[in-house]
Amino acid sequence: MKDYLKRQQKLFTAAQQQRLEELNIMIAGTGGLGTNQALQLQRIGINKIYLYDYDQVEVSNLNRQLCYGKKDIGRLKVEAAAEFLNEFDLETEIIARNEKITLETEVPEDIDIIFDGMDNFESRFILDQLAVENELPFIHAGIEEFFAQIMLVLPESELRLKDVFTGSDKQEAPAVFSPAVTVTASIQVLEALKYLLAFDDYLENQLLHIDLLSSQMEKIDLK
Amino acid sequence: MALKVKLYSLFRINLNTKSVEYELESDITITELIKKLDQDFEGYFTQKLLKKDGSIARGTIILVNGQNIFHLNKLETKVSDGDVVTLFPPSAGG
Repeated sequence: MKDYLKRQQKLFTAAQQQRLEELNIMIAGTGGLGTNQALQLQRIGINKIYLYDYDQVEVSNLNRQLCYGKKDIGRLKVEAAAEFLNEFDLETEIIARNEKITLETEVPEDIDIIFDGMDNFESRFILDQLAVENELPFIHAGIEEFFAQIMLVLPESELRLKDVFTGSDKQEAPAVFSPAVTVTASIQVLEALKYLLAFDDYLENQLLHIDLLSSQMEKIDLK
Repeated sequence: MALKVKLYSLFRINLNTKSVEYELESDITITELIKKLDQDFEGYFTQKLLKKDGSIARGTIILVNGQNIFHLNKLETKVSDGDVVTLFPPSAGG
């Protein structure tokens, strides 16, 4: 076990802790959700994180994308995020992939799950398709204002993101800010871990709806 | 058994209502359900769920027993006592 993980030792069995430290995770989109996911996943000691994005840092990103500051404006997001994360020197390998996710994207062969860090449903549907083709689990999250939803899609699941979210895209850019994005990404990481580390109760054919104005989380059954 | 309509996100906040139940004498379509909801909530749902031409507006999810009506019969999907209809605007950002 990595020496800095002692305080989380009691949370997991020895086998779960070992599995945790062997996990390789693809983060698709290094924006608000993606930078928060990366920080959490590095902090809990996973083996490897692949960061995907093709954008550069803009000033409008700085209210929620935690790996960037004003000095990074104009830099490639994946490079700036990798540099920021590597400064912590926490042993998790960080691999930056400056490319747009398309149906032709070659998903790394050694990953255990794909994390949704996208900001629109069209891109998410492509990501879900890549998960199907590569027989990988995929964990979706979307956040807007004080509300979010999370959905875990298992490799064998016939129920895909498109089945639930067709008709979801809107014209206007959604309002997003740091506390709500961080909470959502943290729950996304927790829900993924519950599945990957074989806890008894994880989301299966359910949507987790998060209402931060009412301080409520609720599971919605899906078919 | 009644038809249950569950509301989430801004729908719940704006209307200060978590869910509504209707005892139905016979099956109704989602279009007819929206009219029923409009009577109870001053036209709110037509404004939120439908375009001016009466088709489904983008940016809202309508689930009938956990299935998106886009993959059923859209607004002509029938619902009856015992069904659960879930309405929420999905969050798109990241």
